[in-house]
Amino acid sequence: MNPTRSSVPWFSRVALILLGVLFLLPFFWMVSTSLKPLNETMKLPPQWLPSSPQWHNYPDAMQAMGPFWLYARNSLLLAFLNVVGTVFSSAFVAYGFSRLDWRGRDGCFFVLLATMMIPFPVVMVPIYGLFRALGWIGTFQPLWVPAFLAGAFNVFLLRQFFLSIPRDLSEAARIDGCSEFRIFWQIILPLAKPALLTVALFQFMATWNDFLGPLIFLARENQYTLALGLQALQGTISGTPWHHLMAASTLVLLPVLVLFFLTQRTFIRGIATTGLK
Amino acid sequence: MTLGERRNLIKGLVFVSPWILGFLAFNLYPLIASIWFSLCDYSVLSEPVFLGAQNYVDLWHDPVFWKALRNTIIFAVVAIPLSTFLSIGLAVLLNQPIAGQGIYRTIFFLPSLVPAISLAILWQWMLNGPMGLVNNLIRPFLNIINAVTGSHLQAPDWLNDPNFALWGLILTGLWGTGQAVVIYLAGLQEVPEELYEAAELDGTNAWQRFLHITLPMLSPVIFFNVLMSIIGALQTFAVPYILTGGGDGPGRSLLFLATYIYQNAFDYWNMGYASALALCLFVLIIGLSLVTVHYGEKKVHYSDR
Amino acid sequence: MAKVLIENLYKIYPAEKGRPEKVAVDNANFEIQDREFMVLVGPSGCGKTTTLRMVAGLEEISRGAIYIDGKKINEIPPKDRDIAMVFQNYALYPHMSVYRNMAFGLELRGVPKEIIRKRVDSAARTLGLLEPDNLLERKPKALSGGQRQRVALGRAIVREPKAFLFDEPLSNLDAKMRVETRTEISRLHRQLASTMIYVTHDQTEAMTMADRIVVMRYGKIQQIAAPLDLYHQPANLFVAGFIGSPPMNFFTGTLTAALQGTLEFVEKVPKGQTPFRCPLSPDTSRRLSSRQDREVILGLRPEHLHPNSLTSGATLQASVEVVEPMGAETFVYLRTGGHTCICRTTQIEFMDLEGKTLNLGPDLSRAVFFDPQTEAAIPA
Repeated sequence: MNPTRSSVPWFSRVALILLGVLFLLPFFWMVSTSLKPLNETMKLPPQWLPSSPQWHNYPDAMQAMGPFWLYARNSLLLAFLNVVGTVFSSAFVAYGFSRLDWRGRDGCFFVLLATMMIPFPVVMVPIYGLFRALGWIGTFQPLWVPAFLAGAFNVFLLRQFFLSIPRDLSEAARIDGCSEFRIFWQIILPLAKPALLTVALFQFMATWNDFLGPLIFLARENQYTLALGLQALQGTISGTPWHHLMAASTLVLLPVLVLFFLTQRTFIRGIATTGLK
Repeated sequence: MTLGERRNLIKGLVFVSPWILGFLAFNLYPLIASIWFSLCDYSVLSEPVFLGAQNYVDLWHDPVFWKALRNTIIFAVVAIPLSTFLSIGLAVLLNQPIAGQGIYRTIFFLPSLVPAISLAILWQWMLNGPMGLVNNLIRPFLNIINAVTGSHLQAPDWLNDPNFALWGLILTGLWGTGQAVVIYLAGLQEVPEELYEAAELDGTNAWQRFLHITLPMLSPVIFFNVLMSIIGALQTFAVPYILTGGGDGPGRSLLFLATYIYQNAFDYWNMGYASALALCLFVLIIGLSLVTVHYGEKKVHYSDR
Repeated sequence: MAKVLIENLYKIYPAEKGRPEKVAVDNANFEIQDREFMVLVGPSGCGKTTTLRMVAGLEEISRGAIYIDGKKINEIPPKDRDIAMVFQNYALYPHMSVYRNMAFGLELRGVPKEIIRKRVDSAARTLGLLEPDNLLERKPKALSGGQRQRVALGRAIVREPKAFLFDEPLSNLDAKMRVETRTEISRLHRQLASTMIYVTHDQTEAMTMADRIVVMRYGKIQQIAAPLDLYHQPANLFVAGFIGSPPMNFFTGTLTAALQGTLEFVEKVPKGQTPFRCPLSPDTSRRLSSRQDREVILGLRPEHLHPNSLTSGATLQASVEVVEPMGAETFVYLRTGGHTCICRTTQIEFMDLEGKTLNLGPDLSRAVFFDPQTEAAIPA
């Protein structure tokens, strides 16, 4: 920041503070509601804070969701498989698109970029048919096997990073006696750690947040992810116990927040680079 | 092709082979199969039966399809400019020498981390007619307006009022716009300080500097983001689906093409019709993207060209 | 210890959209003897690096062949060519310690741990990576440019390869480091007594380090010779101008008949100016007799123009433009006839001569004559 620039006008400061409060309010409201007794959630005009925080709302909400820990385990398992699958396969593919010269590479890469324009709802019907034919409906496979076939966006991201690694290094390694795979594994991957971490974080979020995939491909309740479990809670209970719904929503959000705060630097940098190409 | 070139080609293909497999299985095959299914009566449970263009004829006469198409387009056309303005505005506000810049950036970014399920349930509560926080914030202002002008404005029952449900969703979307703020802020910080200093010496005011330096320098980022937002907005499904408790809102006001595809495919098992809808959505995405590219490319300023 | 033979070597980049075919290396032929220090030199884009990369196996050979110790290596992958390379940007693995950087190539070849340790230690000692500070456990990021380059040298040394390849290894160092490392490499060459091929665009490096020099331009080899032969008997105008600093002076003129069957060189000057004339010795005249009344280019090194001298009777009057005292010697930039020339002398101080006129005496016994059409030197 350049101190010589003219100082910030007062209305900028006020606007920032106001907007900041507005953006935080829903979080506040979520947590506040989650700690209220049911009757206080209904009060008019609303009560900002619970008269006494009802911590037991959280275990109660988990109870109401049914096998909460099973759902959490399912979500974690899927997130783990997706992260591992996408990080390695996308890095592998990105290597082919950035550190090797071969005829047709740029054409293929263009096709890869174009596939980012095909959203899941467009192709979900035949994909469902495909998985059905494989007998995978009602299993976890549809939700993690594709991750091992590289994601276009992640490939794009990693390719940009790989391109920034000097070519000399690969050549030195080649003369040192590395095979192509070893260059990938021992030279490029260790150097790309920040980018790999970014991809891993994005993929974790994407899987943890995914709703449509589990909705379509999972059948039995014991396979539900947290997202589906929470939706079921929303659907099944009558009388809308908002304190429980807010508690459960907070619980689903919590791991994401923790992860974000642990990796904030990488995360923000990752987001920033995705938009700047 | 020389021996070396052939060797390189094989190496390259080995490395990109996972993607090629994925592309064939999850992009190319589904697109082609969609075309075939859309010409069939197909329920997944039995083999597709060729119908010809019947699904498309039905679609043309299906008022629900038009409703979904209309909602989808309105949502995209309203939400994308709004969130673009909001996020550029926030980024510009943040790109000032203020204390706590990082904290503000985090605050604006956080909502975009919230999983769709939590986000939708939270906003269902926020937008609740009598008890929701949104209305409780609005009411005092409405009361003042009513007192001054003698009108009888009421806070809307957002999600239960066909006229307001879409706006409720847009509001939800605006709260989650933080990712773009971070991207725009990074873009703003890439603009060389000398440009502003030179312009200041040339006697420009802040607004002129924004118009003639900030916007052009930021235009490639804006362009890229808008393109991504279009693709995102057109496939919107989870949040409205959960906001409406697994439905499509009062008077189908929150029915989107993706929702309608889902309903046809997995509620009615009418995969043929769903495929026809999916292709319409695909054409819409390609069309809107091409329009954006066509009008955008001319206005975008690439500093390295 | 190896002999490298390069035979009819071509590198052709085929035409691509918007770019015509490019011949980067055009029929190169030369041999590098065992233990020879061969420098490839030329301006950027002359094909010297491409040639080196073809020897390394990093670039495919379009046509022709490369032999190491009589064995054709065209299709042999780099790792099996038994060569080591030092890169312009060092190309040290940033995530590995100095030790691992040097050991990596040996590890991959399955060399036993103790031997690796011994070789790395000995290379590190030779290169001063142990004293005064032990750098072996540091990461490349924590090293200075000079230290990094020494690690890169070490990485090559421990491999004990048949041939060392250097790709402009000094161009990223500052002037002082460059001179130091230059001597270091020369010393290593003597000590290791191995074949080295060294690419640079800097003629000083080439002159000071090489046993022999290959001068390249536009993909074609201009001349291959020992440094001093190159300096005194350049094969053509390009080599004459490229080698030597400050560069050779050129005078365009005609050979006209003079007394007793000798020839006289008469500079071609704009009307009204006095041409620089110099009578040639009977020997030289005989040699150039076939060129009588034709145009030639006379090349004279700056040190062969003697100020205030009347050695051969010929004088060149020139006005002094700039004087650059270097200490041991002085460069005098002069304007004469239509152009400038440079005189390099150890004789007197010229500080106060700027703007004055000076008489210069050329040492014609050292002059080189060129054919203006072919630009080739007229053979002695």
